[in-house]
Amino acid sequence: MRLNLILFFVLIIFALALVNVEHQYRNHYSKWDIENKLTIDLKDEKTKLQIEESDKSGNDRVNELAQKKLNMSLPDSKNQRTLK
Amino acid sequence: MFNKAKSSSKFFELSKFRRRFVLLILLTLFTSLISRSFYLQGMQTDFLQKKGQATSNRTEILHAYRGKILDRNNEILAISAPRETIWANPPEVVMNLSQKKELSRLLKLRLDHLDQRLGNKNKQYVYLKRRASPELASKIMALKIPGIRTEKNYDRFYPEREITAHVVGFTNIDGKGQEGIERQANNLLSGVPGYKKVLKDNIGRIVDDLQEVKIPIDGQDIKLSIDKRLQYSAYKALQKSVEKHNALSGSAVLIDAKSGEILSAVNYPSFNPNGGSKPTQKIRNKIFTDIFEPGSTIKPITVSAALESKKFKPTSIIDTEKGFYRVGSRLTVRDTHANGVITLSEVVQKSSNVGTTIISEKLDSKYLWSTLNMFGLGSKTGVEFPGETSGIVHHFKKWRKTEHATISYGYGLSTNLLQLAQAYTVFANDGELVPVTLIKKEDPTIGRRVLTKKTSQTMLEIMESVVSSEGTAPLAKVPGYRVAGKTGTARKIINGSYENKYIGSFVGIAPVSDPRFVFAVMIDEPSNDGYYGGVVAGPVFSKVMADALKLYSIPQDGFLNEKEEIIIADSNQ
Repeated sequence: MRLNLILFFVLIIFALALVNVEHQYRNHYSKWDIENKLTIDLKDEKTKLQIEESDKSGNDRVNELAQKKLNMSLPDSKNQRTLK
Repeated sequence: MFNKAKSSSKFFELSKFRRRFVLLILLTLFTSLISRSFYLQGMQTDFLQKKGQATSNRTEILHAYRGKILDRNNEILAISAPRETIWANPPEVVMNLSQKKELSRLLKLRLDHLDQRLGNKNKQYVYLKRRASPELASKIMALKIPGIRTEKNYDRFYPEREITAHVVGFTNIDGKGQEGIERQANNLLSGVPGYKKVLKDNIGRIVDDLQEVKIPIDGQDIKLSIDKRLQYSAYKALQKSVEKHNALSGSAVLIDAKSGEILSAVNYPSFNPNGGSKPTQKIRNKIFTDIFEPGSTIKPITVSAALESKKFKPTSIIDTEKGFYRVGSRLTVRDTHANGVITLSEVVQKSSNVGTTIISEKLDSKYLWSTLNMFGLGSKTGVEFPGETSGIVHHFKKWRKTEHATISYGYGLSTNLLQLAQAYTVFANDGELVPVTLIKKEDPTIGRRVLTKKTSQTMLEIMESVVSSEGTAPLAKVPGYRVAGKTGTARKIINGSYENKYIGSFVGIAPVSDPRFVFAVMIDEPSNDGYYGGVVAGPVFSKVMADALKLYSIPQDGFLNEKEEIIIADSNQ
């Protein structure tokens, strides 16, 4: 009789533990899912910024800025000298 | 009292017949239930499970990011950017006229076309727009039309567009590599998508996570040996030359002579790899896939074979006669003009076909053939690029006297531009051929010896004379640096016969005192303002090599006089 009672309580404890583990797993899964979505959004944002950076530092744009805004140009033959 | 109770129990007692009847009914019911459950559980399990899962359990694919393609300085050459696919489930779509007009405007679809797409009520998935920007997708979702949904996916973006298109290649709409590095390294770039199992309702909304998940593995980034700045410089110089000389196309490849890394590989005309259709005639990377007869750029190889054989010295005298020379009864070798009696060095400097033929006649066919093979001609370089050609160098046993002669000055064999550039790494690397690569290298490169150091250095000195006022390529000079190289002007074979159409080329090395770069240029069918290699390809070499030497801070090793400076400055304009 006493053994049955002990086994009954053990059963109850394990059942509760199982419910608790399930609950915790669900909580963690939910957190992971939220973090994963955030990671994806941040990765996408990073991609956009990288594209923007690449666009801003493009050779054509740098050339255009140098020529139009800074008035830079290649020296002509009169102004070209090799240092000796 | 006892009798009364007995009579009461007798009152409720069922007759034997009734008891058996009720028992029979209960048994029949239980039997039918058990047999039905056995039928469903045992005989129809698979079918019913599949049907159940199909309507409720779904596997959501978790996207694996495709790796980036970067240049040697971590500049982006290809990246996956988020895009939206807008789709509709026609049976669910309900919208009023103003919503329909707004949707039509945003999608840039005519109203009747939109009606046509949404009219098919048998379909549950109809594309409205693929590769839409996230901004457009959010505007469409703001209309709150039932049955219209978006799905995030990723599209490849190439910030350098035409400039790196041939090397990087492109993917198709499903993200699979089709050309270039995208194709070559598709497995490495793709990664492995993951999944998660979810429960969906009958209209496709996720109602629960089943908590079974496989994390995706993102694709790996690939760092190329290409330098974006030199790629740009080479593209612009090539474009200028092709347009100036009204040529069909041009190609150029720059190699780091020490490591074998390809720093720049461009073709003009090119194409924009972003977006939909690509012009099929422009997507081929001619540097790796197209072969051509190299012409005079082969002469340094023939002459180096002559020096290695010890039968000749740089000062050996060769009589090139009156500018033509008869080989057997079928071939007359000609020079552009009579050079008379010249030295072996001058044979290269003046690019004499007659002189090279006379030199080659003193060499055994097997020896000449094996030298060409040692320089990497006739076999693939092993560069990481799909569709690389091996070129053609026929076996020496198939050579007749005429082939022996023509091969010595670059006809009767074919090569791609990369092979030609790689062959010149022998002269730049003290006689060692280095393996070429498109991937950035961290480890030191081990070359294969082809020539002795002495022969290699002698050849550099001889080729330096080509880039002088007396040589064929004064326009290839680079201010402040000593440059060695060789021009090539080869007639093209069209439909089996040589036409008056040319490929002008130049392969050069700089600086001569401690070679760092090898640059090969070819201009296909120049038809305006000259066609010689020195004229059409020389200035491209000069411009790109000057940029490369400056960018990599290579110390100057050559000082020119004022007169030469002015020639260079004028030619660069």
